[in-house]
Amino acid sequence: MKYARVYFDEVKVGDEIPPLVKGPIRQIQLTRYAGASGDFNPIHQDDEFAREAGMGGVFAHGMLSMGFVGQVVTDWAGAGAVRKLGVRFAALVRLKDVVTCRGRVVAKSSAAGAHLVDLEVWAENQRAEKVVTGRATVALPARG
Amino acid sequence: MPIQINKGVLGKEYPPYAITVERGKIKEFAKAIGDDNPLYLDDRVGAASEWGDVIAPPTFAITLRDETADTTAFLKELGTDISRLLHGEQEFEIFRPLQPDQTYLCRPRVVDIYEKSGRSGPMAFVVRETTITDSTNEIVATMRGVTIVRL
Repeated sequence: MKYARVYFDEVKVGDEIPPLVKGPIRQIQLTRYAGASGDFNPIHQDDEFAREAGMGGVFAHGMLSMGFVGQVVTDWAGAGAVRKLGVRFAALVRLKDVVTCRGRVVAKSSAAGAHLVDLEVWAENQRAEKVVTGRATVALPARG
Repeated sequence: MPIQINKGVLGKEYPPYAITVERGKIKEFAKAIGDDNPLYLDDRVGAASEWGDVIAPPTFAITLRDETADTTAFLKELGTDISRLLHGEQEFEIFRPLQPDQTYLCRPRVVDIYEKSGRSGPMAFVVRETTITDSTNEIVATMRGVTIVRL
């Protein structure tokens, strides 16, 4: 069930969270993300500009892929649960790419009333190449 | 011929700027990602939640730009232009989600600059950190971004 509440007690190191599949990426989504984020770099909109810049054509904003990775985490942990999210943009996401976001629990800790879960998170394209790699920390409720 | 970037911007602090988060911008941002979480989109769900209102997605802070600043000025000062930029890394630490109608103060600074060679040639890495505080001067979030300049 989407947005089912996850409790700290039930999470185990090594658990994988449900994957999130995004795309195929279309130009309209990059245009929409530009408007929503304020990042109007033409390298994400104008194919000729992107080719002249030596990038071989338009590619997606890294922040759009990071937004997808944020969503795979919040779909599982709940919106508002994210304490940290950090990523490296490992490869470009191109038009027509399908981006699958995944996460795996790597650590759990409790301190000062907060129950924190650390995740390894990543996104891969349809060729299973990692386009984003990173880490997230979420605060989860405990059954008590 | 590779370009030279101006390492003199290292340590530079930019003038703090205030941004009031608009309700519609949060929704527009969530929809652009394709995230239909009701805690971002539905005011009634937000009002009934522990947050008392809708909240912003974890990466929303990237939209908090200084609208009065000339963004090309920073690139000029750095000695580059937008066609050479790539986003290398990004990190958010979130103490509390950003929410609509709240005014936040953003303080950006350049914390590191270094060069190295990658697959596609020499590159400079410019690391910027922004601290985001609320109207009571309490820290709400920090963000750290690494911009790659293809030299």
